[in-house]
Amino acid sequence: MKAIEVLDPRVQSCIRKRGFTVLSDAQKEAIPHIHRGDHTLLIAPTGTGKTESAMFPVFNALLSMPAGGGFRALYITPLRSLNRDILARMQWWCSELGLTVGVRHGDTPPAERRKQALSPPDLLITTPETVQALFMGKRLRQHLAQVRFVIIDEIHELAGSKRGAQLAVALERLHVYAGEYQRIGLSATVGNPEAIARFMCGKRPFSIVQVPVAKNLQIDVRYVGDDFKHQTEVLSRMLKRQGSTLVFVNTRVTAEALGHALFERGDVEVHHGSLSKEVRIDAEERFRNGEIHTLICTSSMELGIDIGRVDHVIQFGSPREVARLVQRVGRAGHQLNTVSRGTILATGFDDLLESLVIAKKARANELEDVVAEQNAADVLANQIAAIAVEYGEIERGKINEILARTSLFSEPGPLLEDVCRQMEEHRLIRIDGTRIITTARARRYLAGNLSMIHDERKVPVFDMVSRRTVGTLDESFVVGWVHTGAVFITKGQLWRVLEIAEGKLTVEPAKKVTGELPSWEGEQIPVPFSVAREAGGIRRTRKIKDYTSDADSTAYAEKFLIEMDRNRSLVPTDLLITLENIDDGVVCNVCAGHKANEALGRVLSVLISARYGTTVGLELDAYRILLRLPFGIRAADVRDLLLSLDPAHMPGIIRLALKRTALFKWKLVQIAKKFGAIDPDADYEKISIHRLLEFFDNTIVQHEAYRELLTGYMDIDTASSIVRLIGEGEISVALGPHSLIGAGGLLSSRDQIPPPTADQAVLATLRRRLEQDDILLCCMNCRDWKSRTVVSRVPDRPQCPKCGARLIAALKPYEEESYAVVKKSRKTAEERAVEQRLLKNANIVLSSGKKAIIALSARGVGPENTSRILATLSDGDAFYREILKAERNFIQTHRYWS
Amino acid sequence: MNLEFIGDGPALVVTGEERNLVVADLHFGIEADLALHGLHFRSRSKARLERLLAIVDRVDPDGLLLLGDVKHSIPSLTRQEYVELPRILETLRDRVPLRLFPGNHDIGIERYLKPAEICAKEGSIIDGVGYLHGHMYPSPALAGHLMIAGHHHPLLSLRDEVGCALQSPAYLRAGVNNGALGMPEKNGTDAPTRVLFMPAFNEIAGYDILQIIKNPTSPLSRHILPDDTEIILADGTYIGPLYALIPDESD
Repeated sequence: MKAIEVLDPRVQSCIRKRGFTVLSDAQKEAIPHIHRGDHTLLIAPTGTGKTESAMFPVFNALLSMPAGGGFRALYITPLRSLNRDILARMQWWCSELGLTVGVRHGDTPPAERRKQALSPPDLLITTPETVQALFMGKRLRQHLAQVRFVIIDEIHELAGSKRGAQLAVALERLHVYAGEYQRIGLSATVGNPEAIARFMCGKRPFSIVQVPVAKNLQIDVRYVGDDFKHQTEVLSRMLKRQGSTLVFVNTRVTAEALGHALFERGDVEVHHGSLSKEVRIDAEERFRNGEIHTLICTSSMELGIDIGRVDHVIQFGSPREVARLVQRVGRAGHQLNTVSRGTILATGFDDLLESLVIAKKARANELEDVVAEQNAADVLANQIAAIAVEYGEIERGKINEILARTSLFSEPGPLLEDVCRQMEEHRLIRIDGTRIITTARARRYLAGNLSMIHDERKVPVFDMVSRRTVGTLDESFVVGWVHTGAVFITKGQLWRVLEIAEGKLTVEPAKKVTGELPSWEGEQIPVPFSVAREAGGIRRTRKIKDYTSDADSTAYAEKFLIEMDRNRSLVPTDLLITLENIDDGVVCNVCAGHKANEALGRVLSVLISARYGTTVGLELDAYRILLRLPFGIRAADVRDLLLSLDPAHMPGIIRLALKRTALFKWKLVQIAKKFGAIDPDADYEKISIHRLLEFFDNTIVQHEAYRELLTGYMDIDTASSIVRLIGEGEISVALGPHSLIGAGGLLSSRDQIPPPTADQAVLATLRRRLEQDDILLCCMNCRDWKSRTVVSRVPDRPQCPKCGARLIAALKPYEEESYAVVKKSRKTAEERAVEQRLLKNANIVLSSGKKAIIALSARGVGPENTSRILATLSDGDAFYREILKAERNFIQTHRYWS
Repeated sequence: MNLEFIGDGPALVVTGEERNLVVADLHFGIEADLALHGLHFRSRSKARLERLLAIVDRVDPDGLLLLGDVKHSIPSLTRQEYVELPRILETLRDRVPLRLFPGNHDIGIERYLKPAEICAKEGSIIDGVGYLHGHMYPSPALAGHLMIAGHHHPLLSLRDEVGCALQSPAYLRAGVNNGALGMPEKNGTDAPTRVLFMPAFNEIAGYDILQIIKNPTSPLSRHILPDDTEIILADGTYIGPLYALIPDESD
C-alpha cells in the first residue's frame, strides 16, 4: 500500500474504507507516474484495477482544485455500456470525496444534459462521439477550458480505428481551450505499446507502465471433432465443474446455436451485440450474482465490463488473433496474482493448427500490433467541418497546427488542401483565400456525422412471391451494387432484384447464376499472416508435439496428414502453394492469412478476367483461395499466371481490380458520406447512383477508399512479397489433385471480379443472341431441302441430307421467299440476282462453315459483309467485335430506319 | 435518312436534307434537386454545356434539336436555373440555330427562348423525322414516321454468366400501336409508326429499360409493341431484341 502514501489522506482513508488491503501490480506501478503528472499509458489485463490506478491520483489532484466552473476530468470509453459500468463504480468514490460525477452519451436525456451545461460535474464519463458534441455548444466549450485530465479507457480498441483518429484530433482541439492537460491511457496487452502512447500524446513525452500478462496465462488446446453435437457434449461436460465460465465464440450465429444446444442446463445465457440492451444487462447481472454459471458471448464481452468472478474461459473455435485470445483469457481469475485459465476447443484441422500457433504465441507474449489510421482523409473532412462549425471561420494554418500536434497526420498541409477543396465541392464549407468558413449545412451534417462508425441504414428485402420480408442489407451495399435485375445471396438463398423504391428492395427468388455475391452481414475476424504462415509451418515439419501435449490433438493432426499422404495429395505448407482443380474452378492453397489472400485472390481474379474476358468469382479464407472460373480455365493456367506475375505491378493491378467491385463502391459511398456529399438519409431512387459515383474519379474521396481498402481490408504488401518469394524459388508452386485440405475450410462468400472492360458484357450478350437466332438452311445443290433451326444447333459443316452436298445457304427466316425464287426454272433478271446472292452465301458457308453462319445471322449482315468479316481472319472476341462493327454500320443506315 | 450515334453524348446526328444534332434531357439545374434528396454536389452545368459544345463543334450541324427537359426544376425556376439558363441558351444559340420540343420540366423556360425556337409539345416533323419530348400523346401528324423522343432516360443493365453487370445508356427502338395512341391506322406513306427513345444527355439520369417496359408511365411507353422492340447502345452497338434480355429461368 506504499504507493498510495503520497496521496491526500482523504483519498487514502477512502481507499481503505472501500476494503483495499493490497494494491495490484498495475496500481503499484502506475500511481507514482500518474501522480507525478506524466502522460501515462498503463497496459494490464482486464480486472487488475486499471481504472483505480488512474483515478486515485486524479481524485487526489481534483481535491486540491477549487470546485465548480467546468469539467476537470474526462473519462472516455468506447462503449456506452462501459460508461454505465464506470459510472456505477465512480459514484461511490466521488460522493465519499465530495466530488461530482456525470455521464454523457447518446442515451443521456435532455434534462440531464441541460443540468451538465449549467453546473458541470468535476468528472464527466463519456464516449469519443459525445466529446465531439461537447465542442458544438458555447457554454460546454467554456467548461472544456477547465479540463486537467483526460483518461481513455480501452484505448487499444480505439487506436487502430477511424474513431480513434477522430478522437486524436479532438484531443488537440481540446488543447486549444484547456492548454496542456494530463493524458492517461488504459490498455489491454498489445504488440506495440509505443505506438499507442504516441497515438494518445502526439510528440509529447510519455511513460509506459506494463504489467505482463503472459506469465499468468495458462492456455490449453483441445481437439473436439467437427461434429457440432459432439462439440456441445464436450463443452457441456466441461461446464459441469465448479465455478463460473465465459465461453467466447466468433460469431453471433454460433453463440445462438450453442445457447440453444445448452439451453436445457438452465444455467447458461447468451450475450451478443444483436440482443437488446435489457437482455444483455440482465444476463450480465445474473452471471455476476451467480444465478447462472456460464455466459456464451462474442467480442461483446471482451471489454472490461464488470461481470464479477470468472474462473475459466473457453474459446470455442480458433480465436484467430493472439491479442484477442490474451484479452479473452485475461478475463479469468481476476483476483490478484491468480492464474488466468483458458481452453481453446478446436473444431477442425485448420482450426486446430491455428489454435496451437496462437496459444504458443500468447504464452510467448507475441501479440499483433495495433496500426493507427494515418492520414485518413474522411476523418480529416469530418474534423474540418466540426472545426468550421466550432469557430464559424478559421485560418487554415490554425487547423494545420491542430493536426500537426497529433501523430496521425504527418504532413497535413497538402492533404488538408485536397480535403478542403472536395468539401467545398459538396458545399460543406466555403473557402475564402486562406480562411475556411462554415456553411448552413455544416451544423446539420455534424449532427448526422458525430461518429466515424458507419451507422448503416438497413434496407429491408421484400420477397414479392411469398410477400414477406426475408432480411435486411446494408444500405451502402444496396447503393454500391444492387440494381434492377441484379442477383445476390442473402440468408443462403438467391434473389433477383425487381425494384428499389421507398427504401425497400423488392426481390423474387432466382434459380440460376452460379457465382455468389457478397452478403456483408458481419465481417469475419481476419487471421493474421504470421499465424497462418506458422500453421503452414506445422504442416511442413509435422512437429505437432512442439505445440501441445494433448494426445488427442496430436493424434488427430498426425492422422489427417497421413491421410493426405495416403491419398497422394500434396500438403500445402508455408513453403509450398498447391493448386487443385475442382468442378467449377481452382482452389489455391496459400497459407498467408485473410488479408494477404484477399489481395492475392483479387489480383489473380482480375488478371484471369482480363485475359479470358469472363467474370471470376472469388472466395477465400486464411489458407485457401477459391477462384470460380468458367469451364476451360484450369489450375495449370493459374500456375502460369502466378509464376509470370511481377510483384511490382501488383499494387497497380489491384486498384484496377477494385474499381468496379461492390466492395469498392460500398466503401466509396461510406467515405462520400463523411465528406458531406451524401446525407445519411439520402434517397437514390431517381438517379443512377453508379454514374454518380463516377464523379469521384481521381478525387481525394476515391483515393481514401483505395487507401482504406488496401491497408485495412487487404494486405497487398504481404501478397506481393509472397509472389516475390515464388519468383526467388523460396516458395514453390505445384499442381495436385483435389485434397482434404483444399476441400476444407469455411469459404465465406465474397466478391466477384468483372472484366476490366465493359465490352465483355456486350460481347457476351451478342454471342448469346446470335446463338439463339433462327436460321434457315437451304441446299443450293439439289435445291430441294430447307430446314429452320437455331444457330447453336447448326453443325460445324452443315450438309444436305438429301443430296449430301455442302453447298448450303444460311438465310434469315424472312428471306424464305428468295429460296422459292431460286427453285423457279425461268427467272427474271431480278430473280437471277437473288440466285447469285444465295449462291455466294452458300459458297461462304462451304468454305468457312459455322463461323460464316454465325456472321450471316447477325443483323443487317449479308454475304458481302460476311466475306469482309471472315477476311479479317479474326477469332474469338475479335471475330465478334467485327460483327458488332458491321451491325453498328447497318444501324446507321436508312435501311434499318425505314 | 441516316443516323449517326455519338456515344459520348449520348447524341444523334440525323442526316437527310438537313443535318441535325439531337440531344434529350439535359436537366440543367438538377443539382439543386439532388440536394433536396440528400446528395450534395456543386453545379456541373458548365462541364455539361462544354461537353455539348464540343460535340456541336465536331459535328457542325445545321441545327440543334433539344428534345425537352433542358431544365430540371418543376414547377418553377430555381435560383440556380435563373442564374445559369440564359447564359447556357445564349451560348448554344451563338453556335447553332436551336429548337426545343418542350418537356414536362421545361415550365418557365419560354422567357429565355425566341418564339420560333419553341416547337409543339406534342411533336412535329422535321426533314421527314418526327420529334417530341415524349411525355404526352404524340401528334397524329407523326403517324407513319420514325419519332425520336426523350423523357424516358433508358439505361441498360447487362449481366454475364456469373451475374455481373454493365450499366450503360441505351436507345430503345419500338413499333407502336397507332390506334391506342390516337393515330390514324392508315396513312399516306403506309410505313409503320416507330419510336426511338433516346438516353438522357445528363450524366446521372438513368432508368432501367426493363422498368420502362414493365411500369410504363407515358402514353408512348404504354403503347409500344414489345415484340417489335430493340435495344441499341449509346455508341450505336446493336444489342438485340428486348425479349432476349428478359431473364428466362426455364433454361
